[in-house]
Amino acid sequence: MNQLNSSFTETLNNHLVEEGSLIPLLQKAQEQDGYISPEKVAQISEYLKMTESQVYGVASFYSQFRFTPPGEHSISVCLGTACHVNGGETLLNTIGRDLDVRPGESTSDKKFDLKRVACLGCCALAPVVKIDDDIYSKVNVVKLKEIISNYE
Amino acid sequence: MEIIINNKTIEVNRELTVLEAAEENGIYIPKMCAHPELVPYGGCRLCIVEIEGRKGYPTSCTTLVEDGMIVRTDSNILQEMRINLVQLILSEHPSACLLCEDIDGCSLFQETIRKVGVTTGCRWCPKDKDCELQRVVESFGISELSLPGLYRDLPVEKYDPFFDRDYNLCIYCGRCVRICDEYRKSSVLALRQRGKHTTIGPSFDDNHTDAGCEYCGACVSVCPTGAMSEKSRKWWGNPDTYTSSVCPLCSINCEIQVLSLHNKIVGTIPPGNPHETAGELCVKGRFCLSEIVNRTERILEPQFRYPEGYGIVQWDEAIAKGSELLNATLPGRSAVFLSPDLSLEEYQAAKIFSEKVLKTDEITSSRLDSKQIACTKLAFDSVPLEKVKKADLIISFFLNGNYNYGPLTMAVKEAASSNIPYYQIGWIKDTTSRFARHNIIPAPGDEVKILDKIIECLENGTCDNDVIRELSDQLREIGNTVLIVGPWILSLTNFTIILDRIRKIISITGSKLYMPDPYGNLKGMLASVALKPLESVIEKINRGEIDLMYLIGDIPISARKKVKHVFYQSAFPAPEDLIPDVILPSTLWGERGGTWAGKNGSTVMLKQVAKAHDYALSHIEIFTRFASASKVKGANAAIKSKSGKVPVKLKPKMPDEFALASVRTTLVSPGKKLPFVIVQEKSPHVYMNLDLSIGIDGFSELVKPGHVQINVSDAKEMEIKDGDSVHISNARTEKTYQVVARKNIHRGVAYLTILNERSDFKCNPCYVNIRRADV
Ligand code: SF4
Ligand code: SF4
Ligand code: SF4
Ligand code: FES
Ligand code: FES
Repeated sequence: MNQLNSSFTETLNNHLVEEGSLIPLLQKAQEQDGYISPEKVAQISEYLKMTESQVYGVASFYSQFRFTPPGEHSISVCLGTACHVNGGETLLNTIGRDLDVRPGESTSDKKFDLKRVACLGCCALAPVVKIDDDIYSKVNVVKLKEIISNYE
Repeated sequence: MEIIINNKTIEVNRELTVLEAAEENGIYIPKMCAHPELVPYGGCRLCIVEIEGRKGYPTSCTTLVEDGMIVRTDSNILQEMRINLVQLILSEHPSACLLCEDIDGCSLFQETIRKVGVTTGCRWCPKDKDCELQRVVESFGISELSLPGLYRDLPVEKYDPFFDRDYNLCIYCGRCVRICDEYRKSSVLALRQRGKHTTIGPSFDDNHTDAGCEYCGACVSVCPTGAMSEKSRKWWGNPDTYTSSVCPLCSINCEIQVLSLHNKIVGTIPPGNPHETAGELCVKGRFCLSEIVNRTERILEPQFRYPEGYGIVQWDEAIAKGSELLNATLPGRSAVFLSPDLSLEEYQAAKIFSEKVLKTDEITSSRLDSKQIACTKLAFDSVPLEKVKKADLIISFFLNGNYNYGPLTMAVKEAASSNIPYYQIGWIKDTTSRFARHNIIPAPGDEVKILDKIIECLENGTCDNDVIRELSDQLREIGNTVLIVGPWILSLTNFTIILDRIRKIISITGSKLYMPDPYGNLKGMLASVALKPLESVIEKINRGEIDLMYLIGDIPISARKKVKHVFYQSAFPAPEDLIPDVILPSTLWGERGGTWAGKNGSTVMLKQVAKAHDYALSHIEIFTRFASASKVKGANAAIKSKSGKVPVKLKPKMPDEFALASVRTTLVSPGKKLPFVIVQEKSPHVYMNLDLSIGIDGFSELVKPGHVQINVSDAKEMEIKDGDSVHISNARTEKTYQVVARKNIHRGVAYLTILNERSDFKCNPCYVNIRRADV
């Protein structure tokens, strides 16, 4: 942990103390940890002489940043137009209920994290669910449970 | 330039927004997110107008006036769009308070039995009848919802002191976020996420305290809805009277407005329009004052100590019995103790009373020890606060600006954010720390060494420390410097030396000094009464030369000394061990008019705002009654006439410093180096004999006396949680405390608030070890 922190201190020192450094630093933090941790928010705010609230406010505005550690497997449910009309929302809710996880967060055993995405570019196969790098097409609730069980 | 609004020609000579120009000329444009102190935001869009030659419907709060502009504010289409906007707000905002068909009857007689729950809002919103959304809805005559209602069902946040937050009532005008950020420069609140997921608050799950909230209440004041509400007056209803006054809780004596209802003080806010005024108050003036006056733990009736115990007596009897004791005491054998929080009239009366009735000049105050005298002497040269705002370099020494000195910390933050260099030397991360070029956190012993190094660097130009060199160079080069010295200096072991070094820096550089003190009317007290140093009076008591102690809102000792009689005259109960013989309940600030020290030696007259409980008498009335009973000719009349005449201009006189062997003038060795630095600060939050950090619940949550505060990351490393017990020790002392893990403590520092005369660790600051009590 200390080693990670010190390497991040180096990253910090490579950036000017100005507001423009905020987004690049957040990106670096997420690269390093896979998410934006409270510790990194504290470090960045200290370095940029901003408050943690300011840093978090900016970070949470962008959907590229996540605030919980990613799970072992990442489940993305497409809610683009085609997938939405074909039941993407139901898939999302089902996963949320079954795995007890909210979009943008991870399950308590850190096995899965869940996110919504907008259009994966294969609308003809809607509704689409992506787990890690695998795309599953024309998913329904029954099929979904089966797919997920393969990762458990 | 000239513009035309609704066919009316208007002359505008300054840079104004269309909204401001309209308002200045009495033209109403509905608005919700605009605020005079804040940068235009254009969030609510209620202030839309039509401007000839411009596309669409620009928001008037963000549009600057241009010559020849032709503006319409009230066309049908604008009204219709505004109504739609309000309908959108109402679909998420509980609105029974606005639209219920029983509104009229309900507000008069509460006739309806169909009380609607908080979820839909009802007459039970804390802002009812004082809400800007309500007013806007009324102005549009909206009486029905056109969209389905959505309740966000966010939990009401009640876990921080002083104010509650119910974001279900929030309309996302962003005023709270912006006032905290732009105006108070605390930046505690953020708009988190976006779109329909937006919430307001600090980062992650932080509470306000850890996010650096000063509890200044600015956000609460400017919130147009009931989303933010003061805990203490949430359900009182709207005040019926607004009286301007000054805060008696520190030497800054901020102007305030006292809100009262049926002769009871329900709150205090900064001066100005109650909905717009963000002000400069600190938490004490904003939230604690009304709680102090409304405290239920007051002395309720006069009491007399009989051999078999205390008995409640009538005032006449108390005066008669008290007079017997007073008469039996020889001249010069009484000592009088004054609180530095009384009015000038009260000091005048106390002076005559001591002179004529008690026949003594042994008058002092528990706060007037020789250290305080030395400090106050220096503080006489304090520049007005305006000079801090205009300084070109600011250095603060041992300032703990958390929950304190609002206008001072704001001045520092404002100067520093316009690029004035600011350096902070001390141990606390306060609201100014983020603005400092450097935070210098002295190790034990270094609190003096750092000053010596600065002096050396100033005198010889030699310096082995980069930060000190930078600071000293600035000191030398920049003429217009203000040094801020916090009263914390009084608690430090090397006080005398530090004060001496600060004097020296001032004499070398010609810097100006600003020294706040935590007392409401210390200057007034010094100007009114010839006082002795505390130690000299206490010594007399110890030598048995005093028979009677007369305490006026002031407790110099926690346990009774060997004197024949103790008189105790105050509003708040005395500690048990004091064992007074006569207890006399007095009124408080606000319950009697009076005059206070104002800015720059002037005085401020205050009206009485509230009525005290039936048995409390004013200090002056008590003195007068004793004077009449004493049969000293003219005493009564003298008290009455003198207390009616107070000076307009104050010339405080200082007693001589009482040279005491116990005041060290040689450097104290800090001892062996250990992982933590413990710093102790005597609680500066005292009003009369009430310590706010014990007496006011919300405030004690912030200050946490009796607990040790350490940095959250330090706590995490040691696997210590809030509330855990730890042993803190060094070669001389070992003590056990409960931990408070805070973000506003620097790493490696442990902070203690001390309530009594005596500090827990002999040397302040000193090195200590911290370990969990259970391992
Ligand atoms: S009370 Fe003051 S410091 Fe705290 S959030 Fe509100 S405006 Fe900011
Ligand atoms: S809490 Fe109040 S001030 Fe803040 S955004 Fe909501 S309505 Fe506006
Ligand atoms: S800064 Fe001092 S005078 Fe102003 S509100 Fe606070 S305690 Fe009162
Ligand atoms: S909408 Fe789901 S893949 Fe395009
Ligand atoms: S007042 Fe202009 S947009 Fe809100």
